[in-house]
Amino acid sequence: MAGVELHRLRKEFGAFVALEGLDLRVEEGEFVALLGPSGCGKTTTLRMLAGLEFPTAGEIRIGGRVVNDLPPARRDVAMVFQSYALYPHMTVAQNIAYPLKKRGVPRAERAAAVARVAELLQLTPLLDRRPRQLSGGQQQRVALGRALVRDPQVFLLDEPLSNLDAKLRAHMRAELIELHHRLGRTMIYVTHDQLEAMTMSDRIAVLSAGRLMQFDTPGAIYDRPANRFVAGFIGTPAMNLIEGRIAAGRFTGQGLDLPLAPGLPEGPAVLGVRPEHVTIGEGAQRGRVRVVEPTGHETIVIAELPGGALVTARAPARARPAIGEVLPLGLDPDGLHLFAADEEGARIDPAR
Amino acid sequence: MTFLGRLAFNLIAWALVLVIAFPLAWMVVTALKPQSELFRRPPGFLPEAPTLDHFRRLLEETPFATYFGNSVILATATTAVVIALATLGAYSLVRFRYRGRESLAFLVLFTYLLPSVVLILPLYLMMVRLGLANTLASLVIAYTTFALPYALWLLRSFMAGVPEDLESAALVDGASRLGAFRDVILPQLVPGIISTALFTFILSWNEYLYALVLVNSDAARPLTTGVMSMLISAFNIEWSLLMAASVMMSLPLIVVFAFLQGYLTRGFGAGAVKG
Amino acid sequence: MAMTRIERRYAWLGLALIGPTVLVFCAVIVFPLVAAIYLSLFRIYTPTLEGAWVGLGNYAELLARGEFWQALRTTLIWTAGTLTLQMLFGIAMALVLHQSLWFRSLARSLVLFPYFVSTVVAVLVWRWLFNDLYGILNHVIMVAGVSDMPLDWLGTMPNAMVSVILVGAWKYFPFVVIAVLARLQTIPEALYEAARIDGAGPVARFFDITLPQLRDVLVVVVMLRAIWDFKEFDLIFLLTGGGPVTATQTLPLVVYKEAFSMNQMGMAAAHAVAMMAVMLVFMIVYIRRTRGGQGA
Repeated sequence: MAGVELHRLRKEFGAFVALEGLDLRVEEGEFVALLGPSGCGKTTTLRMLAGLEFPTAGEIRIGGRVVNDLPPARRDVAMVFQSYALYPHMTVAQNIAYPLKKRGVPRAERAAAVARVAELLQLTPLLDRRPRQLSGGQQQRVALGRALVRDPQVFLLDEPLSNLDAKLRAHMRAELIELHHRLGRTMIYVTHDQLEAMTMSDRIAVLSAGRLMQFDTPGAIYDRPANRFVAGFIGTPAMNLIEGRIAAGRFTGQGLDLPLAPGLPEGPAVLGVRPEHVTIGEGAQRGRVRVVEPTGHETIVIAELPGGALVTARAPARARPAIGEVLPLGLDPDGLHLFAADEEGARIDPAR
Repeated sequence: MTFLGRLAFNLIAWALVLVIAFPLAWMVVTALKPQSELFRRPPGFLPEAPTLDHFRRLLEETPFATYFGNSVILATATTAVVIALATLGAYSLVRFRYRGRESLAFLVLFTYLLPSVVLILPLYLMMVRLGLANTLASLVIAYTTFALPYALWLLRSFMAGVPEDLESAALVDGASRLGAFRDVILPQLVPGIISTALFTFILSWNEYLYALVLVNSDAARPLTTGVMSMLISAFNIEWSLLMAASVMMSLPLIVVFAFLQGYLTRGFGAGAVKG
Repeated sequence: MAMTRIERRYAWLGLALIGPTVLVFCAVIVFPLVAAIYLSLFRIYTPTLEGAWVGLGNYAELLARGEFWQALRTTLIWTAGTLTLQMLFGIAMALVLHQSLWFRSLARSLVLFPYFVSTVVAVLVWRWLFNDLYGILNHVIMVAGVSDMPLDWLGTMPNAMVSVILVGAWKYFPFVVIAVLARLQTIPEALYEAARIDGAGPVARFFDITLPQLRDVLVVVVMLRAIWDFKEFDLIFLLTGGGPVTATQTLPLVVYKEAFSMNQMGMAAAHAVAMMAVMLVFMIVYIRRTRGGQGA
């Protein structure tokens, strides 16, 4: 088995705590995205997995084996870097062959493996070029090829698509998904782009400020965010978060007054509702239209609640409410999320 | 700018450049002039009957060839030693973490600014005690005092310019630290090493004070002190001979300027200005 | 902070790589530096190297002697004079070379050459130019009618100091040129375009954009050149030997003279240490600057 386990993984850089006690268990063959804003510790985690940084405390297991004290060469992982890190003085073929060369694979076998990978990634006509003669997308493929050539236990990918333009990125995303299906290898993918994480991964680990916020399937993370951070971070436009309180089975705040499911603790709380669960033009609440942004296939409307808070709603493509108009506004009772009002902002579920 | 404006600017600028270059041009001209033209009044700029006679005399009648050979050995040996030490040292300073690394970098910068006259007295005593006085070896040792901090400082800056990801990639691909250094970092560092080597070579080639104090025999004397001793020992100063010697002494520089100037500018940027 | 075994192994490897350098450093720099301070506490006769402990006696004598103070003053005059000229020529020439000039790269090479040429060569050439009978400079001066007598460039004051300062400026201003030129090339053209749209003329553009952008590099260059000019030995020693009499005798020359002409090794060391103490001020400022800018 070649899953990856992180146990209470901690990393300090001097006084700065990059990662505080991360627990994560990636199953064999799984595609897991580490997602979070920059500085959340995701790249540090990946580099520790690769053996490029070393944990201050905690344990890393790859395939059940503790690798804390092993240099990168003996961890049997491959990594694709954000900068691609292609060796500028080597040709494409030499770049791809380098990991095999370092493992003492005979020349003939190396050539065969390079040819195979080049075929797979459509690099065959480029094998004699140097990295600087390649386009960004081609460099990206070479970096992938260098990782693929030796069939490691785990693939580590550090924002591999972030230097590509939007069109190429979508294309490479599809290719990576296909590649993962074909190889069935464990892949750990660092990104700050939620679209990449949502579309590609089996499970997503959302990190913030060195801590794991939630680790679940994309669907679960979208539908049942574990806390306010995840709720606000996942989804575009972002989930509306409205401060108020729960009392007598109702949520009140910012001029809203909503009935809630029974069994919720009373007190201050934050109400979360995604824009697609807000309707403009009908409903029991009211809001003044402030901004109307038609995108073509839908219209984003931002309305101001009587309490002053802004609420974003997805409206049909042809909807054109007038700015300044006060309209009825509805919140879908099935689309409501409640979070604690404290620093942690944990999800509040009705007691069952 | 109008054409006239450009013309005026170019004329003034080139006049300035020529004033700056004049002393060295005069050196070449003097070296090529026969003695008879040297003291002619008014002096002509171009030699009427250019001659290489001074160069011939320099090589045949003076120990110039010995000095030249000494300088070549000296500068080459110093450069080789210093580059070897400094390349490894710079790798360590930039890419490893251990206690005292920062203070070490500080020490390098400090010694880079240290005046030679402070070190020369103890070094002189040291060489006398070790029985190395009057040898080229003593000069190689003495030259490391300024060449090593300098090279280390330059190479540290060049090393920092090699993307860290390249080394990381090599490590993940299965290389050891030293393997990654050899396979990936060193090839990237080559231009920086060449540039540092050129600077080290030129510094050593041009050094005067240590050579003056530590070596007092023609057998081990490099060009700088050698040529000056020709000036002092001669009863009447033979300027054509001295100018011919100066031209010869600048020969390696001219070669560097003609073919490798890019490396010089690069080294300047790395060491001097960025600090 | 606890290190993993592999981190410790890497640290040891790092130390092993820097080890030879550290050894050489200790042998040829740190030890001599300490020894220099130690030597300065003795009275040592150079030819026999026999010494007697005098404690701070050398320093007391040095401070009481006019020679040290005079040399310090001479050093400061030389440094200030040559540094000013270097900066002015250097900045001006960098601005010129930054423009589109015919045969620019040739012009650049010619301007840089003096910096790389050996001081010995520079001095020989200039002494030939300065030559009282056949020197081209005196010829030009007399033809131009500036003077009807050949000038004694190096043998009288203040001529000698002026000559030394001039040759120093000629030799070292290319350093300023390269530094400033490199910085000029990184100033975004958009800044100038914006200023032009705002109606700034060439002079305003120089003072409002170029100069502020150059500030940092100029500070570093001034510090560096000040340190190097302060400790300059070869150029002055070879041009005037400190003369006439002691009129251009800077501190490094005094150290040399004490050690190898007066044969007072201990006294020479005391001068060297005192000189270093003065330089330390510059050095600390410089190191502070570069460290701040570079973030180690």
